[in-house]
Amino acid sequence: MVEDNKQRTVLCVEDEHFISELYSRALTKAGYKVDVISDGKEALASAKTNNFDIILLDLMIPNLTGIDILRALKDPGLQPPLKSKIIIITNLEQSDDVKADIEKKADGYLIKAELTPSELVDYVNNVK
Amino acid sequence: MDYLSDFLSQTRLRLFAAILMSNIALIALGLILHAFLSLNVATIAAVLVGVGIILSFLFALLITDYLSAPMRTVWQAIMYLAPDTTGIAAPDVKKLKYGNSLVTSMVNQVYQLASVSSTAKTEESKKIGDISRNFIAQNLPLPFFVLDPTETIKFANQAAANYLGIQVSDLIGKNVYMVLDMSFPSEDTFDNWLKKVKGNSATASNTWERVKLDVRDTHPTRMFDLASYYNQSNPDGIETLLVIFDHTKLYSQEDQAVSFMALSVHELRSPLTLLRGYIEVFEDELGQQVDESLRDFIEKMNAQADLLMAYINNILNVTRVDDDQLELKLTESDWAMVLQSAIDSMKLRAKVRGITLNLKIEDNLPKVGVDRLSIQEVVGNLVDNAIKYSGESREINIESHLAKDGTVETTVQDFGVGIPSTAVPNLFTKFYRDHHNRSQIGGTGLGLYLSKALVKAHGGNLWVRSIEGQGSTFGFSVLPYSQLSAEAKTNENREITRSAHGWIKNHSLYRR
Repeated sequence: MVEDNKQRTVLCVEDEHFISELYSRALTKAGYKVDVISDGKEALASAKTNNFDIILLDLMIPNLTGIDILRALKDPGLQPPLKSKIIIITNLEQSDDVKADIEKKADGYLIKAELTPSELVDYVNNVK
Repeated sequence: MDYLSDFLSQTRLRLFAAILMSNIALIALGLILHAFLSLNVATIAAVLVGVGIILSFLFALLITDYLSAPMRTVWQAIMYLAPDTTGIAAPDVKKLKYGNSLVTSMVNQVYQLASVSSTAKTEESKKIGDISRNFIAQNLPLPFFVLDPTETIKFANQAAANYLGIQVSDLIGKNVYMVLDMSFPSEDTFDNWLKKVKGNSATASNTWERVKLDVRDTHPTRMFDLASYYNQSNPDGIETLLVIFDHTKLYSQEDQAVSFMALSVHELRSPLTLLRGYIEVFEDELGQQVDESLRDFIEKMNAQADLLMAYINNILNVTRVDDDQLELKLTESDWAMVLQSAIDSMKLRAKVRGITLNLKIEDNLPKVGVDRLSIQEVVGNLVDNAIKYSGESREINIESHLAKDGTVETTVQDFGVGIPSTAVPNLFTKFYRDHHNRSQIGGTGLGLYLSKALVKAHGGNLWVRSIEGQGSTFGFSVLPYSQLSAEAKTNENREITRSAHGWIKNHSLYRR
């Protein structure tokens, strides 16, 4: 499913174990190497050092919110700059202006309930 | 006045004396020339004509200067009082040799009139000043503004200044729209109202609820009710009064209900995400191993999960519509593609009920301006309804064509139970469900209400035609993008932002 010779890496920042289990199962089957982290601070540290291709970021996670992590990772002053694509994946409904603000910073914005695991894989396959 | 007849008789007397004198002088000159110099008549006549011309000229000079002296004095008096001339002294009427009494009287009149008008001027400013000194206006705890006919703020009280976080002195003299950046929940804005009443009404008053005001960055958005009174012929230079009744706290508490809704939706979605995930795993990995009837159950489970998701989205969107929070972004779209994908996602729900969806889309439809997700929700709601009320019927026809009015019309037709004509008027009301079917068929009663709001926000219309026992046809229209593009031209993103009955900016701010 992944055409690159190099295996693409995904960080799934998700504190609901059942969900991360489903996502990592589907993504692993599709040929991705998946890390799951449920804590905000740990996720930020890992994202900075491991240069994942794709980060699936929930908004409601312990210790740091998804928005905090997004802001830190998309900070233009970040050295070295992060090349990871950050996809927000949440069930939280935001007011339109907050959502627009998040969408501006992130590389994608998904509602979990509207995607099955395989639809998520399809989406991730198309993130370049 | 007597002065005037005095002046006229004086003038007449002087003119009469002057003309008489010059005539006598000419006759005397003629007699002298005849008696002492014995000149002939022709020569005398010639001399008299010459002298007459010279005399007339001198007389004209004299009389102009002499008779116009009073007029010049009055002119001087007027100029002395005129506000835009400087350095003109007050006339000394006593020096005037002629017309003295009339001119004295006229100059006094002028002085008197001038003083009346200047008193009037101070009176007027006093009236405006009166408001600023008015105990009630000044100490009214409600923000209060007074506008002149050019919509300039003539007066604002301390409460207004506090409310806006601006000094009173910084408010006076400003255009009201520069100071109050208000958004109204409908097209009935203060600005539109004022435009309408100006020139049409002598007096008018109006109130608005849930007006939003963006103050400066440091202040939260204000929400209030606004009352205004207009009086075209108010002599005090006051045309419009504005009073603000702040309800920021109340209204924002109501807005908290939206976030309560958002949290509830979040809680509903989480287990649903998981259920859909697990169903998919079962479908993929057990599908071939389990027997036909179990596979059928898995499909049904999947369809029900889809339906549940659609309901959750309906609840969320109805909350948005009701709170004017719904914002649609209409983009140029291929209608066949949008409709096809909406129908595709409905196929499973139809299939598990044994129903076939027949889709027919006319070729060469123009590009339409739609918010894809929202319009697909409309299609979903109409198809869900058709499935629900299909009864024994197993077909639903979905058809799309170019209507006579140039819009793209889509119909969803079922051949089921139909709707009694008495129920039709209530059909698009929130929580309304067909009376006969309420006990047998589940649903939130939000679908049609929401669909109507969404279609209207697209600039289109939603209608129904139904015969009880034969089925119903729901139709809605969306506009070709070209029809909307006039709106889009002013928008650099080629995106048109609409709300259900949402916030309309008070455009006067940008008028000047």
